[in-house]
Amino acid sequence: MLNFFKLLTFITLLVIAKPMFGQQSKPTLPGSTKGIIRDTTHNYALKSATVSIYKAADSSLISYQISNNYGEFSFKNLPVGTSLQLEVSHVSYQTLRKKFSIPTDKNFIDLQTLIINPKDISLQEVTVTIPPIRMNGDTLEFNAAAFKLDSNAVVEDLLRKIPNITLWGDGQITVNGREVKSVLVNGKSFFGGDAKVATQNIAKNALDKIQVYNTVKDKNNPLDSTLTMNLKLKKGKDVGYFGKIGIGYGTGKRYEADVSFNVFSPKMQLAIVGAGNNINKSLNSIRQLTLNSTFKGVGTNVEYQPDFRADGINQPTATGVAFTYNFVEKPTWENKNTLNANYFLQNKDTDYLTDALTTTSVSENEKVFEKWSNKTTSSSINQKFDSDYEWIRKNNSLKINQALTTNNGNSDNEIFRNATNNQGVVTSTNNTISSNDYQNSNFNFQANYRHSQNYMKPKQLIKGFNANYNLAISNSENNGLNITDFKSFISTVPNQNFNRKYQTKNNKIDQQLNLEFLDLRSMLFGKNKLWNIELALNNEINFSNTKDNNHVQDLNTGTNNYEVNQYLSNKINTNYIDDAMGFSVSKSFYKSLSNRFYKNLSIRITPKQRFVYQDNQSDRSIQNIKRNYSQFVPEANVSYSDNQYGEYYRNYSISFNTNMRIPTINQLAPLVDSTNLYSVQRGNVNLKPGVERTIAFNFNHYDQTNKNTLNYNLNIRAGMIENNIIDSTFIDNLNRRSIFLTNADGNKYIYLGGNIRKAYRFKTSEIQFELASYVNLTKNPEYINTAFTYSSNLNTNSSLGLTYTYKAYLALDFKQTYGTYRSKQEAFNTKYSGKNLATTFSSSYNITKKLTLNSNITFNKSTSQNAADINFAIWNASAIYRFLKGNNAEFKMSALDLLHQNTNILNYGSSNSFTLGTQNVLQQYFMTTLSYYPRQFGKKSQVKK
Amino acid sequence: MLNKLLSILLGYLLCCAPAWAQTTKIDSSEMVTLRIDPEASRGALVSQVFSEVKFIPLETTKESLFGSINQLKLTKDCYIIYDYDTKSVLIFYKDGKFRAKVNSSKMDADADEKEKQVFYGFNLIKHNDDFMIRISSGKNQFFFDLDGKLVKKSPVNRDKEIEDRYIRYADSTTIIAPYYISKNDKDSTNYNLAILNKDKEIALYFPFAKDSYKTEQFIGSGNPITDSGIPNELLYINYYDYSIYKIKPKALSLAYRIIFPASISIPSNFMAIPEYKNKRVEYFEKNKDQVYGLSNAYIIGDNLYFKANSWGFSQDKKNSLIYNLKTGDLTSIKNIEPDSLSQFLPVTDSGSYYDFANYGFHTFDNGYFYTSYSSLALFSFKDLNAGKNRTYNPVLTKYFETQNKKSNPVIIQLKPKQN
Repeated sequence: MLNFFKLLTFITLLVIAKPMFGQQSKPTLPGSTKGIIRDTTHNYALKSATVSIYKAADSSLISYQISNNYGEFSFKNLPVGTSLQLEVSHVSYQTLRKKFSIPTDKNFIDLQTLIINPKDISLQEVTVTIPPIRMNGDTLEFNAAAFKLDSNAVVEDLLRKIPNITLWGDGQITVNGREVKSVLVNGKSFFGGDAKVATQNIAKNALDKIQVYNTVKDKNNPLDSTLTMNLKLKKGKDVGYFGKIGIGYGTGKRYEADVSFNVFSPKMQLAIVGAGNNINKSLNSIRQLTLNSTFKGVGTNVEYQPDFRADGINQPTATGVAFTYNFVEKPTWENKNTLNANYFLQNKDTDYLTDALTTTSVSENEKVFEKWSNKTTSSSINQKFDSDYEWIRKNNSLKINQALTTNNGNSDNEIFRNATNNQGVVTSTNNTISSNDYQNSNFNFQANYRHSQNYMKPKQLIKGFNANYNLAISNSENNGLNITDFKSFISTVPNQNFNRKYQTKNNKIDQQLNLEFLDLRSMLFGKNKLWNIELALNNEINFSNTKDNNHVQDLNTGTNNYEVNQYLSNKINTNYIDDAMGFSVSKSFYKSLSNRFYKNLSIRITPKQRFVYQDNQSDRSIQNIKRNYSQFVPEANVSYSDNQYGEYYRNYSISFNTNMRIPTINQLAPLVDSTNLYSVQRGNVNLKPGVERTIAFNFNHYDQTNKNTLNYNLNIRAGMIENNIIDSTFIDNLNRRSIFLTNADGNKYIYLGGNIRKAYRFKTSEIQFELASYVNLTKNPEYINTAFTYSSNLNTNSSLGLTYTYKAYLALDFKQTYGTYRSKQEAFNTKYSGKNLATTFSSSYNITKKLTLNSNITFNKSTSQNAADINFAIWNASAIYRFLKGNNAEFKMSALDLLHQNTNILNYGSSNSFTLGTQNVLQQYFMTTLSYYPRQFGKKSQVKK
Repeated sequence: MLNKLLSILLGYLLCCAPAWAQTTKIDSSEMVTLRIDPEASRGALVSQVFSEVKFIPLETTKESLFGSINQLKLTKDCYIIYDYDTKSVLIFYKDGKFRAKVNSSKMDADADEKEKQVFYGFNLIKHNDDFMIRISSGKNQFFFDLDGKLVKKSPVNRDKEIEDRYIRYADSTTIIAPYYISKNDKDSTNYNLAILNKDKEIALYFPFAKDSYKTEQFIGSGNPITDSGIPNELLYINYYDYSIYKIKPKALSLAYRIIFPASISIPSNFMAIPEYKNKRVEYFEKNKDQVYGLSNAYIIGDNLYFKANSWGFSQDKKNSLIYNLKTGDLTSIKNIEPDSLSQFLPVTDSGSYYDFANYGFHTFDNGYFYTSYSSLALFSFKDLNAGKNRTYNPVLTKYFETQNKKSNPVIIQLKPKQN
């Protein structure tokens, strides 16, 4: 009921806001006109000319279109009785201008034939107005200058103004219903390639034009192509910088600060970022930091939500540098030479606090209730240096990348656990205090070379060749202390105490080499032989060596000295060779009828044999294990595509894969550490490898009509694991658990997922609709106290989103998510289930050009079978004021968790247990943020028009 | 354009050596130089260029459904079509009614052919009063009548096959022989063109080395020999050459030498520049606007029809042209505008779709040009006429009522004016 009241208040707020923008909507205008454009010099009608209509009084653009095949144009929805100006432009012609007005009595005027004159090359025409849209060869161009926008607008604001372009809630861009696959700036990827970095930063005034063109993959089918959008900057604007410096402080000592500075020139891009906060804003990569500090011009954006539901309280700080150099200024798909280098440093302090109850079925009418609370404080320093180099020439490509990462840190952990039986009697407690210091470093190097066939040189011996080499080196060191206290209350089992120190070192070197020879048929048998079945040979080999050195000491309470634990201290050296050899046979069938359809069916079968050699050498003889495994791991794939010209494009694929799960030494023969009696991991030297077989189906439908497109897809994945390595758990009435491993068949899973997406475009507003759902069903065998049971789990999640945008003033977003889980244990006849629901309303409203209000509210509901429902709402609101001439400064007041209800609910089920609890989260605070956006496109500040 | 890669003929070098002693000198005494700027070409109404326009929708049935017309030949009563999509020959009556179809199911496959016996074209052979369709595939030639019935089958004779390309003039002794091999005692020489009288070599032109396909790239654009319906006269076009030659019974003569604006012309010594040798494709990829050659030449009365081919493709490029030899008027076929003669429908799909861009006119026969476009194109042209009160003749009215954009292509028959 309370929720309903809140919802009502929220809607009322919207209704009050509505008349304010309702007045701005234009009524449908009655006027219309038509005409034909002729080039009388050459004696033909001029197609693909841009015809624009402006209001004569203030030269504001009313409408525009491109003349059709017969040189005709036809406009509707024009004002009557007012003076209008018509402009016709074409790249090879002088601009034609004509004043006219539509008579009020007829609401129509026929402009008849308009004569346009070819451009006189000797006379340079002074262009006064630029046509908004034009066809330049096969490229569709939108001229930025033709669209009058606020001087502080960015490219994204322009995209919203263009009727042919849709900007989706998730960042996808479509042009006339077709998805844009890549956004380039002057033909190159811009600061990592995320479209938003370009569209939300680049000033509309720095933009010359937006070019949209097809990158044709298949010359026979011009419709089967990917759409590329290139943002062409004005001359001299291809050098510049943009960024943000922001600082915020709020109640409860909440703070945030971020700096981002990005410089670019025709060949080089450099980004420097830094940020810190204690409000759970994650800072995980340079790209994320760059994306979070975009300028975002003047339009409405349903604000990016702070991760208010993240676990615990995080205090991250981060800084980084990204550098890109293009050796080729204008790269193409067959000539590219690019170097990227990045450095990222992150420091993170985290506090987690969890209270929860886990209920586990032990037998048909016996359950164990484990109540636990966990407090963790950790801090870590992570560094990453990575670089990649890409070189592409016709038919050859080389890619090299390396990454060096280190992470050092420490954590302190306190866990208090107690176990209760069916009668509500506490049977035992098990408390642990531990601390850890760790130092990890990883180095990764990868090189990939591809050689593909040059069709101009049919005599080449090697038609196609791929080589991939991967080297991974990792070192880790850990120093830990673990103090555990186990107390039993109902039996005579002795209480146990541990005070144990760990010093562990792990070094690993892993090398992988993949070789693939393609098109063996024409190499061995000649062209057009063997029924055109393609043959390819590939081999993947992997060598790795792992060295573990564990030094464990226990406190001797008598002497108060730490003494070496002879059982757990040991050295172990593992050599591992894994080779998978495959021979793939494939064939393609296609069927096409010119101008009607193109269908393609491809079948690929790869019989593959995998050989694994594992050699473990340890101080403990039980761990001296040598194993050889060999398994047939075939793969198969069938894909079908159906392109019905002008109607739709569909593709279907079904694939089969086999994978071998090899038991590790810690599964075969671990040295049993029994400090945590609630979970003692044991091994099984007789474990066999598990064999997983999966089958996956994928279906996509892409609409190819021009208006209100509907796209959808479906994914199904199902699998079965033979000899899966499963748990065999022994639980006693004190909740002491020993977890043995064994092999069992019967592990099955199936996943179904899909989504539907549709947009309706109106004259001044747009509605987007998205529905996404998945269902995941698994069946896991396990043993509990020697009783064999299957636990069947069903998880589902669905989300429905509706977004409404009205001009640049208002954006509304509604989202409903619905998630369920259910777990059933056949042998025990027990069942757990629960639901998580969330309803979110978000809105963003531009009151003036400078002032924006954002509000979002989420109603959450968690239900669980054996507990009362938990309801809470999170309501965030903010007011943003932009000032200074270029809107470069921003003042923001935010109120977060206004209702002070934020709670992080744990509500999940696993095979034979379910958990319900809470976790500490960020709660109500108010914050004031001041930001400055330095921006400059072009070398010197130029006089604005 | 789209099939450019396919049309690159990796063969036939024009070696500029004086070693070809037997090569006949080309008569250029009547050569006319034409200065032509395609960009200056003008538009015209259909009725200014053509005197008759007829749309012939080809019947669509489950049996007759095909992709597009790759080859078109005519008999008195029928259109014979080769369709690459369905790899079949289709026979339609002149009114568009489907008559018969020939595909691989009607032909025995060779013993070593594991799949169907496919074929890539056909020939029309005079047989009694009518014609027979001859299809060469694998080791055999198959002869079908116009009802698609197999009449006979005979093994392919390679020598005969070369002779099949020969064209016989009305005097029945003059033979025009493309890709001719002249043999003497010791060795043989290849010629792009020879004129024979029965077996006697009358004249030999454009010699080339046998292995030239290994050392040079040639970009072709269709059959170099075209027939404008003038008795005992054919037109001939060579690679990278802006000349149009006339083949007469006794000799080849250079009839027209076309000069294009410098910006779209290849260097005059293009074949002699060593750095371009065997790198012609690369050259035209870089110089997309330069004309690499001519094709589809016809002389109809005072009008010279031809196409100027360049690597760069654009729907706006005016490359199919009509030059009036008397007045010097230059008309762009792409810019011929529909009028009442064509029922306000375009006569080619040039500028919108790809059939005319790919094939030009399929053939010139008995005073008529033939072109075709897809139903997808015709329905989109009809949609552009919506709201203009256009009326169509009974054939098209019925077509628009009963067919859709997935129906078979439509043949357009055009009678060009003589002046």
